[in-house]
Amino acid sequence: MGVNISDIVPKEHRSLADFKEKWIAIDAYNTLYQFLSIIRQPDGTPLKDSKGRTTSHLAGLLYRTTNLLEAGINPVFVFDGKPHELKSDTIAGRRVIKEKARNEWEKALKEGDLEKARSKAQQTSQLTTEMVESSWELLGYLGVPCVQSPKDGEAQASYMAACGDVWAAASQDFDSLLFGAPTLIRNLTITGKRKLPRRREYVNVEPEEVKLEDALNSLTLTREQLVDLAILVGTDFNPGIKGIGPKKALKLLKQHKDLENVMEKKALSIENYQEIRNIFLKPEVTDDYEISLGEIQEQVIEALLVDEHDFSVQRVKSALDKVKSERKQKEQRKLDQWF
Amino acid sequence: MFKAKIKAETLKEVVDVISALVDEAKFNITSDGVSLRAVDPAHVAMLDLALQKKGFEEFKAKECELGIDIDKLKDVLKLAGAGDILDLEHDEDKNKLILDVGNITRRMALVDTAGMSDPKVPNLNLPAKLIVNTNELRRGLRAAEAVSDHVALIASSDSFEMVSEGDTDSVNLKLPKALLKELDCKENQKSLFSLDYFSTMVKAIGSTPEVTMYIGTDYPINLEFDIAEGNGHVKYLLAPRIESE
Repeated sequence: MGVNISDIVPKEHRSLADFKEKWIAIDAYNTLYQFLSIIRQPDGTPLKDSKGRTTSHLAGLLYRTTNLLEAGINPVFVFDGKPHELKSDTIAGRRVIKEKARNEWEKALKEGDLEKARSKAQQTSQLTTEMVESSWELLGYLGVPCVQSPKDGEAQASYMAACGDVWAAASQDFDSLLFGAPTLIRNLTITGKRKLPRRREYVNVEPEEVKLEDALNSLTLTREQLVDLAILVGTDFNPGIKGIGPKKALKLLKQHKDLENVMEKKALSIENYQEIRNIFLKPEVTDDYEISLGEIQEQVIEALLVDEHDFSVQRVKSALDKVKSERKQKEQRKLDQWF
Repeated sequence: MFKAKIKAETLKEVVDVISALVDEAKFNITSDGVSLRAVDPAHVAMLDLALQKKGFEEFKAKECELGIDIDKLKDVLKLAGAGDILDLEHDEDKNKLILDVGNITRRMALVDTAGMSDPKVPNLNLPAKLIVNTNELRRGLRAAEAVSDHVALIASSDSFEMVSEGDTDSVNLKLPKALLKELDCKENQKSLFSLDYFSTMVKAIGSTPEVTMYIGTDYPINLEFDIAEGNGHVKYLLAPRIESE
């Protein structure tokens, strides 16, 4: 998912405490997919309520969002709108992969290979409209603002970061940099111990901070060139050129300045490259959003999670209590109420 | 029209008071002096400052507004030595402030004041009034900063107390009535404040030996003190933190 430029971009390790009192726009779909993929039982079955509805995303949102709030971080979740037409190949491709993974999961289950079953199951994650709606609902009750992006959620989050309404955009993808987010935070919602796929090993995942300016300086590229690099390597909107990875693409762009020249010198052609550039450089975004934290509606959350989706009442309470004790000392009032 | 001479020290006092809360501000100038009101970007604190004509070495002005980038004023002040006097003049044609420090002339572009409003100062009726030694207050805050990011200010009929509780340690400073220049408080009052803001404000008080505080319960604090050898007066308001439930 997204462009693969991890190897060539400088990153700094951070802890949640470093983001205290900062606003961060989180790519909601990206995060929900992670929850769906990671939060599963050992045989790969997602968490479900007694009516058979998947609840992995709600569990993830509850525990992870309250973690962030407890750390004094102010999250905004940004949801994808309609995907760009050029993304349809990527989406169709993902559908095929999911279908294949689903078959392999079933096969592995029959063979009793739990490790394989789990790893295959993780690839079958599918976000339904119902899940998106319940996520939006839960976040509302947690007092966390949500924003509907006209197109790509990452584009919208990056735009909000670029205008300074939030401090950073959070996603696992590096696309936020292409979309112009001055600061990208990775691993924000999966900080902590995380199991390595197909191995009985755990790694400690820490947030990473990537500054667009530092990335561009270290690569000695402009943002426009970074977008061209991504198009060569492949993005969600085009497959990229076979045999060109990030390092080779970097070399080519430094040598030939821009995509047109690279294509000419190397006799390559990339369909719709101009349009893909525009997706990243002039994305469709909205100014129709408000970001402020609301009250936590404990009773409504319990009704949704405990009564409706069979969560344990203690776990929900303790997650909410963490935030309440943080909030207790945090409620800085504004003078306005005395005017 | 605005043409004045001012001691570098006096201008520094003014700049310190303003820069504690905002980066740019609108100076309202009349024939009697200069005044300024500003709210910090988070709307947590505000300041109301007045500097009389007498605070200047020379002062000639007709009503006008100057939008000033406070960092730029700081830069100019760095060029001044002790005892220096700055010449200030508003160039109305170019909308610049001309500052002379010794042989240096700085022509400073002014900030557009169109977007800067004059906030109203709320009428708070705070029940406790006390006058504290500035250095005592600073010492108390230094101690508090070491353990927490907030401090409770508590006034009672016989003392003033600052209490700061961190995760593991706590600090308190208690000043009995005898150590306060004035204490007028019938019922106990207690409000909690962010040390970030409160310390910054108290640091900006400068060399004034005493500061007057008005305190309520879960109410903003009003901090008042003189500047420019009594020719100027500053009022700071800071909204409290409130412990819910």
